[in-house]
Amino acid sequence: MIEAGEAAARALLERIGGIPTASQVTIMNVCGGHERSLSMLGLRTALPEHVQVIPGPGCPVCVCPEEDLADAIAVAMTGHVTLVAFGDMLRVPTNVSKGDIASLAQARAAGADVRPISSPQEAVVIARSLPGKPVVFFVAGFETTTAPVAAMLMEGVPDNLSILLAARRTWPAVAMLLRAEDHALDALIAPGHVATVMGADEWRFVANRHHLPVAVAGFSAESLLAGIYSVLRQFHEGIAFLDNCYQELVRPEGNRNARRMIAEVMAVTDAQWRGIGIIPDSGFSFRGPWQRYDARMRHEIVASERRRPGDMPPGCDCARVVLGKVRPNECRLYGKACTPQRPIGPCMVSDEGACHIWWQAGIRTT
Amino acid sequence: MIEDVHVSLAHGNGGRLMRVLINELFVRHLGKESLDTEADAVPIALPDGEIVITTDGFTVQPLCFPGGDIGALAVHGTVNDLAVSGARPLYVTLAALIEEGLEIALLERIVAGLARAARTSNIKVVAGDTKVVPRGQGGGLYLTLTGIGVRPHGTQLGVHMISVGDMVLVSGPIGDHGIAVMLAREAFGLRGNVLSDAASVLPLTTAIASTPGVRFMRDPTRGGLATVAHEIAAGCGQAVELDEAFIPIRPTTRSVCDILGYDPLYLASEGRVVAVTSPASADEVLTAWRSLPEGQDAVTIGTIQKGTDHLSNQVVLRTRIGGMRFLPELEADPLPRIC
Ligand code: SF4
Repeated sequence: MIEAGEAAARALLERIGGIPTASQVTIMNVCGGHERSLSMLGLRTALPEHVQVIPGPGCPVCVCPEEDLADAIAVAMTGHVTLVAFGDMLRVPTNVSKGDIASLAQARAAGADVRPISSPQEAVVIARSLPGKPVVFFVAGFETTTAPVAAMLMEGVPDNLSILLAARRTWPAVAMLLRAEDHALDALIAPGHVATVMGADEWRFVANRHHLPVAVAGFSAESLLAGIYSVLRQFHEGIAFLDNCYQELVRPEGNRNARRMIAEVMAVTDAQWRGIGIIPDSGFSFRGPWQRYDARMRHEIVASERRRPGDMPPGCDCARVVLGKVRPNECRLYGKACTPQRPIGPCMVSDEGACHIWWQAGIRTT
Repeated sequence: MIEDVHVSLAHGNGGRLMRVLINELFVRHLGKESLDTEADAVPIALPDGEIVITTDGFTVQPLCFPGGDIGALAVHGTVNDLAVSGARPLYVTLAALIEEGLEIALLERIVAGLARAARTSNIKVVAGDTKVVPRGQGGGLYLTLTGIGVRPHGTQLGVHMISVGDMVLVSGPIGDHGIAVMLAREAFGLRGNVLSDAASVLPLTTAIASTPGVRFMRDPTRGGLATVAHEIAAGCGQAVELDEAFIPIRPTTRSVCDILGYDPLYLASEGRVVAVTSPASADEVLTAWRSLPEGQDAVTIGTIQKGTDHLSNQVVLRTRIGGMRFLPELEADPLPRIC
């Protein structure tokens, strides 16, 4: 029962095998969805040995700053607020003294009204069902989340709903990685979902400024392999350009409407990435009139004092996993102290976290 | 005549109402001849052979789902446990824990379904017990069945019989029961026309019972195919290699899984058999299965490989594009209470 896409994928694998390469080639992907497809398809084992595809910054939950999480927990614990957040945010741990509330799930167990949701629309529905009660929507996500949140606000939301914004932009993190002199990357697979919203053109800088091959890819074996084939071919020929291997959905300029809504509601700011530090232009804040939806204004959340860049849980290598410096199974705690049942770091909690994905895909030893 | 609409605590108090419930509902459907409600214990006659026994509790939510209900499921589940151990199922006992407030009409439907399933599998319900628990202390209805069967002396089935080179076969598409029950819970706002595969596997196991080279049979219920594969790997100390491209999964089941992020390899079936056979007998088993309506999609899905070093006790999945990965053991059950 080999389907058409699989036959195409196998053909691409053969063509990839036919590209002569003298040296190791390291390709980074920056999307949890890509990482999941790669791992679940066992793609790495099907590629030639000299081709390495590594996970990079593809998990917004993983880099959501501890202080934002602490703020969310604090708001929830006031007792008069309902806090809603995407499901995998609930179990992300923060560093607190023993006995203190370390996650939203723990806040919920302690009696706070914390509810997991799976779409912005659900936040609106919950707010409508609780007239008069403040509902705070804790938003951690990339542009794919930011756009629907902006749309939701523009469509109009009930007055009792406000947003605790911890949204991040993807490309500035990659730009930061590539600015480092000693980066060991040879090519990039650009994220298909983000590019659907923001456009393939956002990723042109990888080729133009950093002279690395880059391809936008989708999530099927065929599309991912087309992307990998494209960048390997470019690498082999010593050229670098932006290739779009997900043309069914991704346009050069992306979704104009979605981008317009983000730009209308939000401004770009520098932002903290957990365990990494501040990355220029990598976050969002509310523009003037929209600030009335900012939970930070409404609930007078005093910016937490806990701003330290190195704030992953002790022993957790999540930040370096996110930056592509180490692989998940190179962390000392992977599969030992840290498993999806008892996660230590956010990369083992989130569905988009590389540690979680590798564990689910059966990757055990180094 | 039962006059009440709902089960009340009085239906479990040993008095008149309980007698009426048992006689008018359970006995009426399950048959007077075999079920002696007066006796505390009953003798049973067993033909020559090795006696095998199994017991199982059923807590599925909801009680009725597309393609079945808890009553038929309980009988099939018990029959199947006996069948895959090479036995002919003969008798079952039935304990019903009923939650106060359960609609009597629903209970009746379930018991009728249970009786029908028992008749089709040619087994007798020989002993029973009913209890009523207070409202809020049970999920409507829990059933516990103990099954007794007989298999030929010297039946050699089990993981210890498996050796390197053997083939892994499955009798039909996997995961339908898990998806059908989940969709019936309606928690996702998804509608699909997936029917549970809940059925007796007795025809499948009988068809190959005397085929030499059949080493092991199991019905992939909770934890699905991946979990059976792990039992095989751990039991024989070798590696099980499954070929994803050949594992039969219905397109609707697959797309529901894609949408909700479930892996069908871990979802329960309630009417399928996974068998391990010698390479020489695989074709014979497939031919026998495919001649049955319930085995038309039977197929070879993998092999037993030498479990050297890091491969021992592991399940390896050859993916659809020819990659390899380990299929991990189930961690958290994504779908509790499906049987
Ligand atoms: S395995 Fe756990 S502790 Fe290690 S980097 Fe991943 S999340 Fe952190």
